[in-house]
Amino acid sequence: MFSDKFAGKELIFNGIPVSPGIAIGTVFVVHLDELAVTDNKIDEDEVEGEIEKFREALRQTGEELKKVKETLAEDMGDEHARIMDTHLMILADNMMIKDTEKCIKTEKANAAYALGKVLKKTFESFARMDDQYLSERAEDIHDVKRRIVRNLLGQTQEGLKELRRKAVVVAKNLTPSDTVGFDRKYVEAFVSDIGGSTSHAAIIARSHGIPAVVGLGNFTHNVRPNDNIIVDGITGQVVLRPEKNTIKLYENAREKFKEMEKELLTLKDYPAITLDERKFELSGNVETLDEIDDVVSHGAKGIGLFRTEYFFITSPSPPGEETQYRYYRDVVKQIAPESVIIRTLDVGGDKIADWIGNIEEANPFMGWRGIRFTLSRKDIFRSQLRAIYRASAHGNVRIMFPMISVMEEVLTAKQICNEVKEDLLKERYKIDEDVKIGVMIETPSAVILARHIAKEVDFFSIGSNDLVQYTMAVDRGNSRISYLYDPLHPVIIRSIRDTVKAAREEGIKVGLCGEMAVSEGALGMLPLIGMGLDEISAPSYLIPEIKKIIRSVTFDETRSLVRKILRRATASEVRELLCNFIIEKRPELKKFIPKVSLK
Amino acid sequence: MNPSLRLDRRCKEMNEYMKKIKVKVVNENGIHLRLAGELVKNCSRFKSDVHIEKDFERINAKSILSIASLGAEYGAELTIIVDGQDEDQAVSLLADLFKSGFSEGTE
Repeated sequence: MFSDKFAGKELIFNGIPVSPGIAIGTVFVVHLDELAVTDNKIDEDEVEGEIEKFREALRQTGEELKKVKETLAEDMGDEHARIMDTHLMILADNMMIKDTEKCIKTEKANAAYALGKVLKKTFESFARMDDQYLSERAEDIHDVKRRIVRNLLGQTQEGLKELRRKAVVVAKNLTPSDTVGFDRKYVEAFVSDIGGSTSHAAIIARSHGIPAVVGLGNFTHNVRPNDNIIVDGITGQVVLRPEKNTIKLYENAREKFKEMEKELLTLKDYPAITLDERKFELSGNVETLDEIDDVVSHGAKGIGLFRTEYFFITSPSPPGEETQYRYYRDVVKQIAPESVIIRTLDVGGDKIADWIGNIEEANPFMGWRGIRFTLSRKDIFRSQLRAIYRASAHGNVRIMFPMISVMEEVLTAKQICNEVKEDLLKERYKIDEDVKIGVMIETPSAVILARHIAKEVDFFSIGSNDLVQYTMAVDRGNSRISYLYDPLHPVIIRSIRDTVKAAREEGIKVGLCGEMAVSEGALGMLPLIGMGLDEISAPSYLIPEIKKIIRSVTFDETRSLVRKILRRATASEVRELLCNFIIEKRPELKKFIPKVSLK
Repeated sequence: MNPSLRLDRRCKEMNEYMKKIKVKVVNENGIHLRLAGELVKNCSRFKSDVHIEKDFERINAKSILSIASLGAEYGAELTIIVDGQDEDQAVSLLADLFKSGFSEGTE
């Protein structure tokens, strides 16, 4: 990093796209000091300049610290502001300055490296101290060092919340504490080395409509503050120090994307209704409180899937009833008068909370997860149900159980719900006694049993991701067999059709809350319309697109499309049917077909 | 210069020409970073060189980082060595400073 040898060379990285959109901007690095400082030597004739650079960084840091002191004095009084005097004295420390300059001169070290070397001795003696109070003070010195290094590398702001120019935010990993108080209007995109689609950066990005790419490996090793960068949140491509032609290419792509987005958002206040007036309920998938506003702003009604894992996994121990109650209550109040479906804890598989301990299973996705976990940890299950029921007093709540595979699980879970309800009433809590209870349909056995399960519950929600995984017996993460992971396979369409039929026969509602609604643009959505689901729940940012597709077709034509699909045996035939339908009958939907599906 | 000779000379200087006092840290939390800052501020008022010795380690008392890295905890015994034209004033002020616990009160 920070060697000019790389300047001018365009570098391309591929990561996981977690929030769509295209950004072209300059880099702002969060936790710049954590990135490796190289031990690159400087030349003899650069010594003077390097020392000058060091002094300039000290000067800038001094101004920065004085500003912090002023702000502190205004906010908390002079007494508190005095702690910055210590910082200023560290900055002015003669030993540190002289030794660093000496190191630059004699060892031809770059300034950041020289400073680190000088302060290393100081930190070492702090680490050796027996007295904990004294040794903890090293943090102040670290803070000053961080600021000097940051200024040396040419970035004047420290944290995201001090960002006052438009920038692409780059980090190894973005934690909730990094994003506290950031100003959306300055952040053009998020880019990080680690993470997946449910990591904090991804969730924050989606909820604010900021393009984001995560999981870029050791991307930050190559990046320097203020580098030019392109982020493509649709394909997951990140271009560092792009050439002129590349920038032009992406400027066009960005314009196109913006136009489409604008067009879609004009549909916000229109109902999700087909041309022949079949109505669908659109709701949002939500994981954290700050995503709720986006559900409404994207034109969805209510929350069709509220995941509780995030809350549990980020806690050092299972959160208690009271904590959960307050959390769910805020969710319920914020979305009222619309409803929220709260899914009970779905840990296991790839989502393990630290407090569960180290459970090693040969097949975690077929193991102790979802309702299987909560039914054997009834203490956790009960406290969660108590909290949800108590929150039901504040609005419109529904409860949903994940990973149901047999009837016994449904009956036991319902029994516990009843006990919890009775207890709460006895304890004189105000609750909604009529909270609707539903289950996820995401295993083949649940599909086959759907007729029976429908008699016991108030609604179904089809979890298409897991349903594909379990029905096709394919590990989602295994790229060797990824051809089997196909939501458009007639087997999956048939499973969904059977589930809808079972729900209809018992007169209960049926929805879908997986990614199928947006798999391959319009292709996944068309059969869902034709099968007549009542509700589609998806990440908020996808709601406008789904609405547009629903409003572009008739229920009748999609229903006959489904009939044709059910007579086919391969996914490629299904794809062909769907593509031909769009090209011949609804060409305005062509822009929603990815190029790979058209071949 | 031969190192042992240098050490010799230093000892001689210390013994014969420099002002030297022994002080004890009475502050409950030791000489933490803020007190180190206070100490630097006070030492910097004098033209004299001020050094502090603890367990045979000798540091410049006008550097906050050096003082803080001494890790002078409660009860630690320090030797302050002052050399320069205003050494008498410096010694008496520093002695008072340590005795009064930097006027920190009961922290």
